[in-house]
Amino acid sequence: MIIKNLSVRFGAFTAVDDVTLEIPDGGVVGLVGESGSGKSSLARAVCGLVPHTGSVEGARRVQMVFQDPYASLNPRMTVGRTIAEGAGPKEVERLLGLVRLPAELAGRYPRELSGGQRQRVAIARALGGNPGLLVADEITSSLDVSVQGAVLNLVRGLRDELGLTMLFISHNLAVVRYVADVVAVMHHGRLVEVGPTEQVVGEPAHEYTRALLAAVPRLRG
Amino acid sequence: MTGWSRRNAPGVAGAVIVAAMAVLAVVGPPIWGDEAVRIDAAAILQGASPGHPLGTDNLGRDLLARVLVAGRYSLLLALAATAIGAVAGIVLGTLPSVLPRRAARLATGTVNALVAFPGLLLAMFTAVVTGLGARGAVLGIGAAIAPGFARLTQTLAATVANADYVSAARMLGVPRRRILTRHVLPNIAEPLILNLTQALGGALLGLAGMSFLGLGVQPPDFDWGRLLFDGFPRIYVTPEVALGPAAAVALAGIGFNLLGDALARAAARTSVVRERTPAPPVADGAGEPDPGAVLEVRDLTVTFPGGVTPVRQLSLTVAPGEIVGLVGESGSGKSLTAAAIGGLVPYPGTVTYAALRLGGRDVATLSDKELGTALAMVFQDPLAALNPALKVGGQLAEVAIVHEGADRAEARRRAVDRLGHVHLPEPERRARQHPHELSGGMRQRAVIAMGLMGTPRLIVADEPTTALDVTVQRQILRLLREVVEETGAATLFISHDIAVVGELCDRVVVMYAGRVVEELPAGRLADGAAHPYTKALIASLPDLDTDRSTPLAGIAGTQPAPGQIGLGCAFAPRCPLATARCESERPELVAHGPGQRVACWEVK
Repeated sequence: MIIKNLSVRFGAFTAVDDVTLEIPDGGVVGLVGESGSGKSSLARAVCGLVPHTGSVEGARRVQMVFQDPYASLNPRMTVGRTIAEGAGPKEVERLLGLVRLPAELAGRYPRELSGGQRQRVAIARALGGNPGLLVADEITSSLDVSVQGAVLNLVRGLRDELGLTMLFISHNLAVVRYVADVVAVMHHGRLVEVGPTEQVVGEPAHEYTRALLAAVPRLRG
Repeated sequence: MTGWSRRNAPGVAGAVIVAAMAVLAVVGPPIWGDEAVRIDAAAILQGASPGHPLGTDNLGRDLLARVLVAGRYSLLLALAATAIGAVAGIVLGTLPSVLPRRAARLATGTVNALVAFPGLLLAMFTAVVTGLGARGAVLGIGAAIAPGFARLTQTLAATVANADYVSAARMLGVPRRRILTRHVLPNIAEPLILNLTQALGGALLGLAGMSFLGLGVQPPDFDWGRLLFDGFPRIYVTPEVALGPAAAVALAGIGFNLLGDALARAAARTSVVRERTPAPPVADGAGEPDPGAVLEVRDLTVTFPGGVTPVRQLSLTVAPGEIVGLVGESGSGKSLTAAAIGGLVPYPGTVTYAALRLGGRDVATLSDKELGTALAMVFQDPLAALNPALKVGGQLAEVAIVHEGADRAEARRRAVDRLGHVHLPEPERRARQHPHELSGGMRQRAVIAMGLMGTPRLIVADEPTTALDVTVQRQILRLLREVVEETGAATLFISHDIAVVGELCDRVVVMYAGRVVEELPAGRLADGAAHPYTKALIASLPDLDTDRSTPLAGIAGTQPAPGQIGLGCAFAPRCPLATARCESERPELVAHGPGQRVACWEVK
């Protein structure tokens, strides 16, 4: 699928400025940028949640997983009903299995789950919509590191198992590098660099990408 | 316990009154029904007497009995009016979320116009149009209640409509009406139901008012308002005949309102009363102050009622010019440790310690002023630390004026100087701006500058860069290092990000479930970490050299909640090295190489 000349404007402010980005079938494109760079607006436009100009071609059904697993599940609905909303009640068990959660969890309410479990439920709900494209918007940034690893592994596993096409958004280059095949760097509403992950991380062409890379905290230096 | 009952007294009173009214509505008519309608020609228009405590009316009927009997009818009418108002209001309020855009705007406009219209006028108008009598009055009061409900519903629905789970349902193709009944209404039901109780009190008063104006209940029926209307002409001669029904109306109205208020407050649960925690009893073994430490914490414990202990016997020291990192995941107790050091543990938490010294003195003996200048705190959200209504420069100057008695001009000059010191561009101009005009990074610089207004001996920074972008984070970390080198302040840097801590700090303290599990020089983090939890934390962190072909290491399971920590090592259930001993016996921190201490049975 391809995003063509997409722009999002809020009044006089242009959040996304003429972005064209191809997401190959079965591939994971990582979108990095800082807060205010327009990456979340781009995600919401691709999902049809904000008005935009330009087009999104070739995406059958788009589903999204949100940043905050505490706000993205209806607190009054059980896990089972939440997942069944898109997929139907017969699929609940299979989808819970896909995100490596026990089937007993179907009867629980979100408040009884940990942050990592909630995020898995949100992923299961999105998968239930049988997405042609899955948009993951900062899905690990409100999780603890020990849980983040497991969710990232799950994302990679799902891609391999289901051939999922994904737009994976994060401000953390190390996280994006781990899951994405292609990295797109966004700055002030524009894409400043797009390329295969190892190339963007190894030989960044744009000055802003270099600044982002230099700022990643690391233990071994 | 006394504080609890004092705060809840109005609610209890309201519940008692409402319960009494309900009982009266049930038992009133069967008991006093006959007496209320018994005509006694010998006793017409009497005042209070032992036989008739509230007097009699123009047919000699006993007024006390009539007031007691009228309770059922008055309450039923109020219930009906509230039900009509609530249903009409909720339907009107939810219309904008289900109708197409243009019709939705019309519905919103209608609600706005109705809200602007005076309620009593709307009630009287409706009552006159639909005909005098109880039916008209009920419809009228219902019409008067509806706009308020509509507005409340609309506002609540609009906030929920922007929730992520509603967006998710929309993307899954759930129809609008189902989104409303499944996602929106259940999540706004609570405030609506609470509002119902208060509306009931209002309806009761409103209906009495309508009857009193002659627009409501007509004879031979009677409610409290009607009794008031009948008794009013005699108020100068025999006041008790009007005061009886008036008291009944007032009591019922007050009861419902008190109960509604109390329910709303209980639902909001916002009554966090901050009290200064009294100085804790100094346990034995406080020992002599460590001369080399600015901050000395020994056996710090924070407890909440119900046996919840988020911080357990934590000890640490920070030397001048040293940055100590306190790392842990959410729920490990690291932020409460910072709060305890600053005396900011929220009520009803209690803090105990063997020693908590700042510059060699027990913090409980420091005055607010001394603490204010010696300790600088930097929080995660700089916007919450700055008053949005005041200019940045003024807020900084305040510190010097309050704590050091500096005059206004001098304090202001210092504020601008400090802002320049933290590399805020154009400090003169920034000082004249409000916090919302600054970017997140600039705000955090301003908060650090605020801490530098005094001469801090200790800086406590609680996740100061978590809300910032990586490039800005880098700048703020550099600034903190610079400030520490210049002022020689001891710094406690709290973060969930072990990579950030490893980069900035000299020493690292790792917390798990309220306790320190490892303490080591930052340089040894990458290769010398010994505790299995520290190792797992480091392994689960992807960096720019992580092997992309293998799965990331994670830690199975979750950290136990502060109330559910057993006798043994808290990490044992998640630990690959755990043995039977780990389950039953807790390991103490013991020395493990230079500058390193570990609490683990399996580390040799």
